[in-house]
Amino acid sequence: MTLQTSQSEIASGGSKSSGGLSQLLNRISDKLEPVIEWTIWFCGWSSIIFVAAIFLFVAIEAGGFFEQVLDEETNKLEYRWKGFEPIKGFTFKEFFTSINWRPDRYDKPEYGILALLVGTGAVTIGSMILAVPLGLGAAVFISEFCTGRVKETLKIVIELLAAIPSIVWGFIGVVVLGPLIVSATHQLSHIIPGFQPAFVGVNVLNASIILALMSVPVIVSVGEDSLKAVPDSYREAALSLGASRWEIVYRVLFPAAKNGLLAAVLLGVGRAIGETMAVLLCTGHAVNIPTKLTDPARTLTATIASELGEAVRGGDHYRILFFIGVVLFAITFVVNLVADLVVKGIKGQDNA
Amino acid sequence: MPKHDNLRFDASSVRSFVVCANAGDDSENAFPTFEKAIEGIVAACSQDDAHEPVVERIEISVQESVSGSSKRKKPSRHFYYDTHLLGACGNGTERDPWPDITSSLNSMGEMYRQGELAAKPGDLIWLDRREVFTATEHEKKKQRSETIAKITFLMMSLSLVAPLVLILSYLLYKAMPALTMGFLTENPRDFMTAGGIWAPLIGTFFLVFISLMIVAPIGILAGVYLNEYARDNWLTRLINLAVVNLAGVPSIVHALFGVGAFVLFANLGESLIAASCTLAVMTLPVIITSTREALAAVPMSFREACWNMGASKWQTIRTIVLPNSISGILTGVILQVARAAGETAPILFTGAAFFMNVADEGWGYYFPYSLTDKVMALSMHLFTLMTQVNNAPEHLVYGTAVVLIGLVLAVNSFSIALRVYLRSRKKW
Repeated sequence: MTLQTSQSEIASGGSKSSGGLSQLLNRISDKLEPVIEWTIWFCGWSSIIFVAAIFLFVAIEAGGFFEQVLDEETNKLEYRWKGFEPIKGFTFKEFFTSINWRPDRYDKPEYGILALLVGTGAVTIGSMILAVPLGLGAAVFISEFCTGRVKETLKIVIELLAAIPSIVWGFIGVVVLGPLIVSATHQLSHIIPGFQPAFVGVNVLNASIILALMSVPVIVSVGEDSLKAVPDSYREAALSLGASRWEIVYRVLFPAAKNGLLAAVLLGVGRAIGETMAVLLCTGHAVNIPTKLTDPARTLTATIASELGEAVRGGDHYRILFFIGVVLFAITFVVNLVADLVVKGIKGQDNA
Repeated sequence: MPKHDNLRFDASSVRSFVVCANAGDDSENAFPTFEKAIEGIVAACSQDDAHEPVVERIEISVQESVSGSSKRKKPSRHFYYDTHLLGACGNGTERDPWPDITSSLNSMGEMYRQGELAAKPGDLIWLDRREVFTATEHEKKKQRSETIAKITFLMMSLSLVAPLVLILSYLLYKAMPALTMGFLTENPRDFMTAGGIWAPLIGTFFLVFISLMIVAPIGILAGVYLNEYARDNWLTRLINLAVVNLAGVPSIVHALFGVGAFVLFANLGESLIAASCTLAVMTLPVIITSTREALAAVPMSFREACWNMGASKWQTIRTIVLPNSISGILTGVILQVARAAGETAPILFTGAAFFMNVADEGWGYYFPYSLTDKVMALSMHLFTLMTQVNNAPEHLVYGTAVVLIGLVLAVNSFSIALRVYLRSRKKW
């Protein structure tokens, strides 16, 4: 006991002045050490538990295994096992290859998400075409071409760019970018014969620009980290051979940091695929396969966000929307997994 | 011969000769023809050589006349000779210079006669004595390309920053009529076409506060586990992978999870607590990551010193590691507040209401929502005003957007300022 007391006194540092209460608290805290360590251990596992739970609960709802029923005795809603019942008219082949998305048709609903997949793909690719060069360029500029106050300021501004909520990006897309795109394409159609102007401002182009601005911060920060991780000796060696800074960037740093840069791009892709509110507002929300930039489209995420509120709980439409959730989860899981493995790749090289 | 430390051309080492001087030119180095000019240069150089032999690299430039300006224009032709290269017979280029002044001038005269070198009346011939480290043409080209690269990258960075500033100022301008104190403290009225944003504002506050209460302990303890307890084995790698993946799950999938787990399974219904739990799960990974970084910044020697005093692992964490990293942990938590405040999708089906009646005064004004109520949120309010309310006045919508941005950016800036301040105060 004496030993324990002295231990706690030592550990609590300068608590002599704070009197008996804090000593008591310290002693209680030390007695609880096993409990606390168990809690910490459990919390450490929380992320695994939650990832598993997310998949499980979304899949359970997609499968329709449970139903909510009113218990007549207690007059409370209860969550009961129902068993699996396949969705009428649903086949995996049709799900992934049909462009007909008519889930709420009464007689013969059709569940084809090809158009939605293409919409998500088009918007993601469009945004990456803009965001990857700009993001990596900004990362190179921040990491290699500027120092001191400029560097700090740029980093802070890019961090603030990441902080703007997606609903606000959607709002900006609708009220600022949309009219801008309409008037710009109309101007262009006067200059270039045969150029079709956009009739609505909310379309693939709009969503791509907004998504690019949203995913750039991820690309910049991860890209900059990976450039910073390249040892200075690489730069010094290149400088001593007479390379200019630009030559160092594209002959030395890009090859050395290529895994990190790839991971940055993949994380940007992950963010673009998963984005919901901004694309819901900016894509135009029309189920069709876009053939040009000024066509409206619809994405997987936006479909869930707009239709879940109207779907009957436990019904086929509702379950299909959850199944789209499973598909989205799987896509982003794979993208993030690949990004993580790629990052691990660089770490391995550095140690070697 | 002057020696130069700098890498630039030095005026004192430059001599100019004017070919075919005009009548009015009274320069002593003016010559009537190119051949005469060359002879003059040879004579001048041999005078120099009498004092001291030329052992420097020399650049000869033929430059077009510049009337009324003493500034040197870009030379039209360059020739080089280098007395270090004894016996070499080059062609006068930078890579392959002539060996001395006489041979170079002779070669230039030969080129002039054959018409390769055009020198008009009034043209100048420059002799530049160059130090070893002056920029050659090749290097200048490289410097130019580097400047171009730098400007390109600067433009890329600015193209990210400029739209942000422009858009924010545009929104602020449009929102100006709405931004009064009353806008913040009044409830929405007349089917949300008038009044302020008090109800959604306080709703957002409640959502963020409750989700923070749930996630902060879990996230911080998880960070402690990963940094202090976890060994480098497959299990830890699995946890790391899970953190990364949890951060990458789309927000709408979090919403689906919230519906499945909290609204239905836990039977909380669409309520404040269900929405807060969903937000908590969503913000968990970033709190874990930032806590872990803050803990990792505490030097290992602090812990070792504490262990040597006989303290146990938990005692060390409680008394040494956490107090020294609390600032970094707080910064991460505050950042998450901002993120949670702006999210719409996760609360869309788990507890956000389009409209709730909130009392205009009294207890109900400050605590309008119970844990099982649906709740209005600022982000959801913006969404509702944009899509559900047909005749919402423009300034209300812009005002809501600006307040939301302002809130999020203010919290973020506070967190950044805190980080910068604490970093400057760091003792180790």
